[in-house]
Amino acid sequence: MCLTSTNHKIGDLVNNVVTARKQWVGLLKTLVVVAASVFAFSGAAQAEESEFSIVVSVQNQTIDDGVATKNPVVGVSISVTTATGSAVGEGITDASGIVTISVPSKDSYLVNIDLATLPDGITLIDENKTQAIIEKDSFTTNAKRVTFFAGSSTATGAPLFDRVVQRLVDGIRLGLIIAICSVGLSLIFGTTGLTNFAHGEMVTFGGLIAFWLNVLLGVPLLIAAPLVIALGGVFGLAMNAIIFAKLRKRGIGLISQLVVSVGLSIMLRNMYLYQFGGRTRPLDDFSLQVAKSFGPVSITMRDLTTAIISLIALVAVALYLQKSRTGKAIRAVSDNPNLASSTGIDTQKIIRIVWFAGGALAAMGGLFRGLDEQVGFEMGSGLIFLMFAGITLGGLGSAYGALVGGFLVGILVELASLVVPAELKNAPALFILIIVLVVRPQGILGRKQRVG
Amino acid sequence: MDIIKILENTLSALFGIDAAYFALAAIGLNIQFGYTGLLNFGQAAFMACGAYGFGMTSQYFGVGMWWGILIGLVFVVILGLLVGIPTLRLRADYLAIVTIAAAEIVRLVVRSVEFKKYFGGSDGINSFSKSFRDLSPFDPAGKYGIRPFQYSGYSFWTIIVGWSLVALFSFMVYMLMKSPWGRVVKAIREDEDAVRSLGKNVYSYKMQSLIIGGVIGMFSGMIFALDRGSVQPDNYSRDVTFYVLTALVLGGVAKVRGSVVGPMMFWAIYVFSDNFLRELTKDKPFEIFGFGLIQKSQVGPVNYMLIGLGLMLLMTFRPQGVFGSKEEMALDGR
Repeated sequence: MCLTSTNHKIGDLVNNVVTARKQWVGLLKTLVVVAASVFAFSGAAQAEESEFSIVVSVQNQTIDDGVATKNPVVGVSISVTTATGSAVGEGITDASGIVTISVPSKDSYLVNIDLATLPDGITLIDENKTQAIIEKDSFTTNAKRVTFFAGSSTATGAPLFDRVVQRLVDGIRLGLIIAICSVGLSLIFGTTGLTNFAHGEMVTFGGLIAFWLNVLLGVPLLIAAPLVIALGGVFGLAMNAIIFAKLRKRGIGLISQLVVSVGLSIMLRNMYLYQFGGRTRPLDDFSLQVAKSFGPVSITMRDLTTAIISLIALVAVALYLQKSRTGKAIRAVSDNPNLASSTGIDTQKIIRIVWFAGGALAAMGGLFRGLDEQVGFEMGSGLIFLMFAGITLGGLGSAYGALVGGFLVGILVELASLVVPAELKNAPALFILIIVLVVRPQGILGRKQRVG
Repeated sequence: MDIIKILENTLSALFGIDAAYFALAAIGLNIQFGYTGLLNFGQAAFMACGAYGFGMTSQYFGVGMWWGILIGLVFVVILGLLVGIPTLRLRADYLAIVTIAAAEIVRLVVRSVEFKKYFGGSDGINSFSKSFRDLSPFDPAGKYGIRPFQYSGYSFWTIIVGWSLVALFSFMVYMLMKSPWGRVVKAIREDEDAVRSLGKNVYSYKMQSLIIGGVIGMFSGMIFALDRGSVQPDNYSRDVTFYVLTALVLGGVAKVRGSVVGPMMFWAIYVFSDNFLRELTKDKPFEIFGFGLIQKSQVGPVNYMLIGLGLMLLMTFRPQGVFGSKEEMALDGR
């Protein structure tokens, strides 16, 4: 008796040591992979930020009922002096209305705009404000941004109908991007149960890779785009293989996995900040566009094209899920992983496919978002909350739900900006979220059994 | 490299005001997350409730700071009900989604131009700490304590108040978790249906837990605001909640001492790494084989990257942190 129990104890001890060692080996592996991935990128994007600079932007702004349209003003002379008045540097705004003037240190400066160099017919909104004062403490990053607004801010008072239509079109565009980004989020939730808070970073990844290829390497965007999407898919696969597949294998609970994804999101976002710096920047190709008018709606060809491509992609995803063998398997795993795997479906393979597809679609969304707005390290984490509202509205875990929900949230958010101030236009999404959860927690297309 | 200075700063961070306000937020989060199993990802919003409740009273109503606590409480209860009512009947991740969204909205509302006259926009509120300052028995110009634990009079006062609150709430939570109420919430964490079958109103207990945790979070926001002498909307971003969560997991979830020692360790590690990296990159970028790895401006992101990595590794390899027990981890797939 006594002997066997001692043997057991020794056995346990050995086992413990072995598992502990395994843990440490796993830990080291993870660390190496992470460290490698952090530093693998070249620091090219960062190089120009090593010095302090003041980024001055001159924008001709027309505000039409709270919706601001900005056009860059080219060829305006800007000069920077120290607080005591001695000259530091000067420059002329480029095609995007921006000029970067480097300054020797974090200090207080005065930024002056030369009114005589403004193009004819353009005046500053506040004509007395030809000088911006920069305090020493306002350098939160190495580049301090200053914007001079030209143009008028009076409402032109377009008819209500026209405004609603314009918002609706903008809403459809936003909704398509949200839908594209959140399909993966919803499918990953459906197949693995993971609420992936790092999904926004997958969107950012797409935008940043597009920036890297297009701006830093000079690859035309049309060639870069498929690469971006493919790399996004690989990124999704890697996230699954390096982290979440391992966690599932170790039998770590879903809530723990959720918290891990939060950690991953923080880490990735700061990795982007480390590589890319804190400001937002436009892509090279298709960045200057002239809006065309179709009746009351004005839209640039670029935005129209991305919207059409998004729509095609969404229809393709829906058809794929509906018709193809793999698509059916994905839906089966989404519905009930155990049942699906007992019918001979390779669940792990399906999960890998879902991560790949989710990553690719998120990267595509990031690329389009980067074209639409600009590329920045927080572009995806700003969207994640709309994506969650979308998939909750559509039905958590249901693939079609993400399409429908994301689309509706985009439209609602844009329409809401008719009544809500532009800064708060995301707030209605929270109310959608709350109302859906009170009234119909399973969402539009979800089934009741999923909840609670 | 000035090693002594780095070590002094690290030691001083152990008992600094940052550790104190994090500890308060973590104690609150511990009630929700550790004991009840509620994923509150919006603790920053509860902190903002406290800070703004405080700031607004003195700024606009001209009444004493005690009213600030009352207004903060009202805010906390409203916010708690707003996020709790729709989600507490549902699976745990819904609460996470709604709280993170609510926290973001709270931040957007308080920093918006639209509500600038109430919340001060992105400048925040800056002149409200006078009545608290006047209560201080210490000479604001004087130095108190011995190195490295040496603080100016006002900091010393906030630190003392902060840690007293930590002690008070730690004791309260300790007693609470020994009480029948504590047993019920812990049972909810383990098996909600079992508790329901005993005739307990699970929904109501969860709501109480959410709001009690939120109230302690509110005091955290107040201490932070009083120490800084200002309320800034961007100090209550969603990442703050996650840093508090990291600190809590580091100390040990569902343990009172975990929620106090965790934040102390978190800040010591953070200050050490921050100081170390800053010293390392002070004169020239940190390089390996001539390949510039960390520049001066990148120290911030690298630090936060390490926090994120730390949270992931902790959750994976030691979810119970330093003091927790694995049995008490509420982290199954509910």
